[in-house]
Amino acid sequence: MDSSFLIKLEDVVIGYDKRGLLDSIDLSIQNGQFWGIVGPNGGGKTTLLKTILGLIPPVKGKVQYGKNHPLIFGYVPQRENFDHIFPISVAEFVAMGRYIRIPVGRGIKKEDWKVITECLEKVEIPDLRNRPFRSLSGGEKQRTLLAHSLAGEPDILILDEPTASMDIKGETAIMELIGKIKERDNLTVLMVSHFLNIVAKFADHVVMIDKDDEFFSSGTIEEVFSGETLSRVFGLNVTVEQVTDKIRIHAGARGSDKKT
Amino acid sequence: MDTSSFGEFIRSYFLWRDPMIVGAVSGAICGFLGVYVVLRRIVFVGAMLSQVSSFGVALAFYLQGFSALSLFQSLIDPFALSLVMTGAAALFFALNRVFFRISQEGVIGFGYLLASGIVVIIADRITHEAHDIADILFGSAVVVDPKEVYIVPAVAIVAILIHWIFFKDFIFVSFDPETARLFKYPVRILNTVLLLTVGVVIAVTTRALGALPVFALAVLPPLTALFLTERLTLVFIFSIMIGILSAVFGYFFSFVLSLPTGASITTCASLFFLLGTGWQGIRRLV
Repeated sequence: MDSSFLIKLEDVVIGYDKRGLLDSIDLSIQNGQFWGIVGPNGGGKTTLLKTILGLIPPVKGKVQYGKNHPLIFGYVPQRENFDHIFPISVAEFVAMGRYIRIPVGRGIKKEDWKVITECLEKVEIPDLRNRPFRSLSGGEKQRTLLAHSLAGEPDILILDEPTASMDIKGETAIMELIGKIKERDNLTVLMVSHFLNIVAKFADHVVMIDKDDEFFSSGTIEEVFSGETLSRVFGLNVTVEQVTDKIRIHAGARGSDKKT
Repeated sequence: MDTSSFGEFIRSYFLWRDPMIVGAVSGAICGFLGVYVVLRRIVFVGAMLSQVSSFGVALAFYLQGFSALSLFQSLIDPFALSLVMTGAAALFFALNRVFFRISQEGVIGFGYLLASGIVVIIADRITHEAHDIADILFGSAVVVDPKEVYIVPAVAIVAILIHWIFFKDFIFVSFDPETARLFKYPVRILNTVLLLTVGVVIAVTTRALGALPVFALAVLPPLTALFLTERLTLVFIFSIMIGILSAVFGYFFSFVLSLPTGASITTCASLFFLLGTGWQGIRRLV
């Protein structure tokens, strides 16, 4: 039996309320890998992510976790998920990411605050700790979310659209920071993104999913990101160019009546 | 109001001491729990629960009129029945998503309207207790039942104790339920306990003060506190203080100006809210 995996989906059907979105899928995520999850809007990316996280049960099959089970997930949700009526400070927000290691009914101890401070330093925002989360800029919020996900000392980092609505400078800064933390802490990363070039640049493996087209493919970037499959999934004329050791994706004119 | 009315107020402390204690404690605990109600954007849950509590009291008065039920007199005590009804409503609200999946607003609207409709029908049937029912709805009672001087603080202490233990958890499931579920926190249980504490406190304070001031104390102090500070712990502290001040000033003006008590408390809480908006306006300008 292969025991080197961190997460494994074997003959799993994902979906909601006993309704499968796709035929059964197989996926094996190893320790230290950086996976991207891409696909069109409504293609099933979030369903796959939530199934992996154990937030929704698979319609068929079982998600297996490796020898580290129970896995500690560091989850970076989308910035828009939070209600700004809450006057939560940056430190309080990051502390919530630590709650995976603090049982219900127990308060935050001194050693927890030490880890929280370290996380703020890792994402280079120690001076923002007392600022209200709602008053931060998009980039600062993203760094806070990243610190929140690291506070639980996770085995795997799950990022949901970490660069959504960011300018190119903020996007590059946050992705480079994620890459740096991944290397330093030898983390496994799973990132949902709409930005194919970001995924191609930073991830080493990718899942491409589109439930409407009954399409699921996983593997290395080079295996999955071909002009033909990208054109099929996104309904555009997509070309893939090799630039040194990375690939670059160019979207052309609309190829068919598919959503994007 | 002149100095002689203030002197008369001080001299009559034996008249207002008990209602003032009950009012201040109610203001503190409603102000505290109201922060959750406001932050979770379910302000009308306070109105619904206080109305359901009134419904329980009115129903008890109505049932007491049936001689066939005389054997069960102790069971149809207004306080006990309002507590049971409010607890059941809070439970229904907390578990609605599991069984019925009705929108939160839908459940609040349904509960409020059903309770209000039945209270009016019962009030029409038991005309001799209509004054008592009006007191419960609008909080016109200047005096309180001596038992309430003990019941209200006791319930408040239990509620504070529960919230002391689970403070971080209640905030977590209110702010970020998705991550709480991912972390295997018992989100449903915590939400139910939180809403039950709100329900029980509202039932007890509604019996003492009336539905209108209780709704006001559960909504206006937290809203005002949110104008004053950006820190969560301070929001709770300010809300408790504004709740106490609203109740105390409300009783004071009710006493010296012969105003209906519930309306006076509600007006005081509203004035604090207006001051809070003014303060926020000044801060933005500066």
